[in-house]
Amino acid sequence: MANSRILVKRRKAVRNIAKITRTMELIATARFKKAMDRATEAAAYTKKINEIVADLAGANLSFSHPLLQKPAEEQNVAVLVLTSNRGLCGGFNGGLLRLAMARLREFKADGKNIRLEVSGKRGLSAMKYEKIAVDQAYTQFEDKPGFDEVNEIASRFVADFISGKLHRLDIVYQKFQNAARQSPVVETILPIGDLSGATAGGSSGIEYEFLPSASQILEEIVPAAFKARFFKCFLDAAVGEQIARRVAMKAAHENAQDMIKSISMQYNRARQSQITSELSEIIGGAAALE
Amino acid sequence: MIAATELRLVLVTPETTLLDQSVRSIKLPLFDGSMGVLPGRAPVVGRLGRGELKFETSEGSKSYFIDGGFIQIKGSVVTLLTNRAVGAADIDAAAAQRALDAAKALPATTDEQYSTKTAADEAARSMLRMKRI
Repeated sequence: MANSRILVKRRKAVRNIAKITRTMELIATARFKKAMDRATEAAAYTKKINEIVADLAGANLSFSHPLLQKPAEEQNVAVLVLTSNRGLCGGFNGGLLRLAMARLREFKADGKNIRLEVSGKRGLSAMKYEKIAVDQAYTQFEDKPGFDEVNEIASRFVADFISGKLHRLDIVYQKFQNAARQSPVVETILPIGDLSGATAGGSSGIEYEFLPSASQILEEIVPAAFKARFFKCFLDAAVGEQIARRVAMKAAHENAQDMIKSISMQYNRARQSQITSELSEIIGGAAALE
Repeated sequence: MIAATELRLVLVTPETTLLDQSVRSIKLPLFDGSMGVLPGRAPVVGRLGRGELKFETSEGSKSYFIDGGFIQIKGSVVTLLTNRAVGAADIDAAAAQRALDAAKALPATTDEQYSTKTAADEAARSMLRMKRI
């Protein structure tokens, strides 16, 4: 009987965990939908900015802005890693941190001054474990990053870059490709390589009146475009985290169901064999009495 | 040519598209003063200032506070891109007053500091002004 009691206990435990993983999966699904909506709504802004950039390009303007130019030297680099605050999201943080570590080692081998900024408790604890000093930590970003908070960080990077304190900014985050596909990437977002992505063919042929002038608008729009792109990284990271969690929890839930099945089978077998042995004992006892 | 009668206002912030509706006329703050837009306006790309965005719809007029950004007028569509937009009813007068006090306390020893100070000051003042009306 001892064996079957252990099995019953174990099955109960697995069932409880299955309940938890199922709930977490549902929560992650709901959060993913919300994060996704935010990301699609934010896309309108980026699209419009790109449109205006294309319009400016139509005005025969040479694009020159401190944020677009590659600095002569590349000594001071910053790496921003966007991880999650919570665990139980599969390989999400692991993939990001692996990439971040590789990039950090690369910079270290080149003898650069690295400024490391990490968002998310998971990334922070991993850096602590690796004994890598983090210059700036953020833990306030959950699944709803607000533009004002992100803007603050972006403005600081822009100011540092223009004043020459920073020569390059790399960001490690989960890039959203579509709902079934996200991958961790390292992107260099300062200096801005290509402003609009697809400027060619974007010019609508309309002759605009520029107020105050095309070059002055350009001066303002480059930081705005950078900030929009920076913000998008945060939104992508939030969406990626929820998707990763949903997938991980789904797998965990399915695994728990399989375990319940196999434990139930084991339990039934144990019970059956016990009944059989009891029966044979009774029959044996009755036969002995005759 | 038939006179244009259509005008659509789209107000976009980095987080969301706040407004997308047809209007009769728009008054908006440009970097150097306010500008009015009626249907049939020539195409414009411009820089926005801080202040009140006011527009007339068939149901009456509405106003928002907007904080910098860009405007693009293309055909009958007026697109405003701004970092921050607050509906007139949602403006918190006490918070604006605090922002104004904070802006006043900012140092202004360099050009950069001066421009951030004036920007913050202007934003807070125009918010308060909207609240008083």
